[in-house]
Amino acid sequence: MRRVKKISKLLGLGLCALGLSVLSQSASADVLNDIVKRGELRVAVQTQGPPVSFVDKNGERTGFAIEVVKMMAKDMGVELKLLDYDWKGLIPAVNSGKADFLAADMTPNAKRTLVLSFTEPYLYSDVVLYSKKKQPFQKWQDVCKKGFSIGVVQGSSNVGLLKKLCPDTTIKEFAGGGPAVAQAVAADRADAGINDIASAAGYMVEYTDFKILDGAPKRWPLSFATRPDEHHLLRWMDNYFMLIRNDGRLEKLADYWMRGPVWKKDH
Amino acid sequence: MNNIILSTMPFLLDGLWMTVKISLFTIFFGSLLGVVVGMLRTLDYAVISYPLGAFIHALRGTPFLIHLYLVYFMLPLTGISWLQLEAFPAAVIALSLYTSTYVAEIVRSAIQAVPRGQSEAARSTGMTALQSMWFVVLPQAVKLMIPPMGGVYVIIIKGTSIVSVIGIAELVRAGEHATQRHPKEMMMIYGLTALLYFAYCYPVLRLARWAETKFGSVRLPS
Amino acid sequence: MDWILDFYNYRVVAQYLPEFARGLGSTAWISLFALGISLSVGTIVAIMRMSSNPLLWRFAAAYIQAIRSTPLLIQIYLIYFTLPALPLLGRRLDELEGGIIALGLNAGAYMSEIIRAGIESISRGQIEGAMSVGMNYVKRMRYVVLPQAFARVAPPLLGQTAVLIKDSSLVSFIGVFELFGAGLVILNERLMPNEGFLTVAVCYLFIYTVMLWLTVYAQRHFGGSGD
Repeated sequence: MRRVKKISKLLGLGLCALGLSVLSQSASADVLNDIVKRGELRVAVQTQGPPVSFVDKNGERTGFAIEVVKMMAKDMGVELKLLDYDWKGLIPAVNSGKADFLAADMTPNAKRTLVLSFTEPYLYSDVVLYSKKKQPFQKWQDVCKKGFSIGVVQGSSNVGLLKKLCPDTTIKEFAGGGPAVAQAVAADRADAGINDIASAAGYMVEYTDFKILDGAPKRWPLSFATRPDEHHLLRWMDNYFMLIRNDGRLEKLADYWMRGPVWKKDH
Repeated sequence: MNNIILSTMPFLLDGLWMTVKISLFTIFFGSLLGVVVGMLRTLDYAVISYPLGAFIHALRGTPFLIHLYLVYFMLPLTGISWLQLEAFPAAVIALSLYTSTYVAEIVRSAIQAVPRGQSEAARSTGMTALQSMWFVVLPQAVKLMIPPMGGVYVIIIKGTSIVSVIGIAELVRAGEHATQRHPKEMMMIYGLTALLYFAYCYPVLRLARWAETKFGSVRLPS
Repeated sequence: MDWILDFYNYRVVAQYLPEFARGLGSTAWISLFALGISLSVGTIVAIMRMSSNPLLWRFAAAYIQAIRSTPLLIQIYLIYFTLPALPLLGRRLDELEGGIIALGLNAGAYMSEIIRAGIESISRGQIEGAMSVGMNYVKRMRYVVLPQAFARVAPPLLGQTAVLIKDSSLVSFIGVFELFGAGLVILNERLMPNEGFLTVAVCYLFIYTVMLWLTVYAQRHFGGSGD
């Protein structure tokens, strides 16, 4: 009986300690101050998501988001620490405070902005469909019909888009990213694939028997995101995008990385 | 095609090395924890057995990704400083917990497979329960544990492919990254990955099989 | 109960119940069919492995080693992408068929080792008893050895089934919608990892618990003494 009492006392103390430590977790309301104090900017990026963030054939981490974030750190006057995660890991990384913000091609929509705060879009990205040249499709609406199948990256915004625009078409979601979809198209497992224009242009370089269908069903706004209560950081980022848009740096980066296959040549 | 092989091999080899590192740490800690849990399970005290059993079933019945998520993302939210884990330690901890459930059952089966006569004889010479376990039962049980551990090792190696969610570039994910760079060569790159996998796993399995013929095996883990 | 909403917004999860139900059903069916294939293949391969005919046991051993030493994802890709049109079907395997067969063949290798251990553990006494009653090999296997062997190794079979159920999430790589993908829907549409992952965990645990009860029932019902 005494032992049981002792154990339950220890348990109680342990729980109290846990509870107190949770309470005493000081949440700084301004991570931007923390960044400047510690001299380091921590950004969550996707491990492999060309052309936004990926490791190129020389083993270097590069991509649109990487270049922007490097500029940000330099202009902030701090070091940059890149934390890379699978797509699924980006949001928990920001929520748990491991990263100050995430730099990816995420589309802000009404439901998502309930959970994270997004910057004003840094870019509007066209989405296109692609298929094998020998298919009879000319524009994307041709494949948006009953009896055809379109491959899409699992969990991307394009899934909802296709379900709305092409309700009668078979939609196949592939885990494994854009290349998995391209492979499916190449193996005749899907009549067409859908992706952003930069990735699709990249596949055209690899798969010479592919073609891009005319028309773009959608232009997605792309933003960076951070925790909802980091107002200062969010305003800083919006301001920064405005600055680099004004001096032309943003357009140059966008043209190189996000609007065509140019990035593929060097990486 | 050859220069694609040449350019991707370094990354795949880096990934393989990361897989080896994680699996080595995991087999060590996972076995340690598993031995402790397995021994506790043989004691048959309901107070210990039921919670441990529930723990083992909970870990077995849920995907490893969730364990990883809990360890890496949710533990830090408690605010306790030593729970703020980096990716590699978090991966090893989560994978070790998962592994320990398999090791625990192997250990338990092995201990129970040693004939009761052994521990009874040991006790009758005046050894305490602990001494009989340490000097008589455990050494005989260890021999029986070795063959099934080969299978556990393969489970670990499978599990490492999931730690890529928190950014660790192990072998399978290195292969996926290479396919992002060269989408057309996807099948070939995955073929290379399979080959490297095989080069790592096959010797382990052969070793386990040799151990089985030498030492005999215990009834397989539950 | 409102404090739970901070951590796990069950109201949002309720809005996605159709997706979770679809995913749960998909995973359950895929696992069931793959399990059936794996047990059948496993038994056959186990018997082949125990045969003295080198043609049989070498093939079985090679199959087991090949499966166990390569990643499941690659096996799935091989079956889905590289297999040509099959003669009997007249077409290639579709995603569901390819996924189930790949899972079944993969688990079958592991099951065969477990089943083999079970068969080998049935004492000679049982076999001799069956022989003395006039049963031939097939009858012996069917009525005496296999039922007891399966009941004996029911726990390790359950462990392997748990692995199979979780491995089934890999079919999302060839476009099949399953339980884990359902969880990712919440993650992608709402950016809520807790709700997505924890719900998925509970669903998987549910499937596992059902299998656990089935195993316990089977063991009690069919397990002979074996000795």
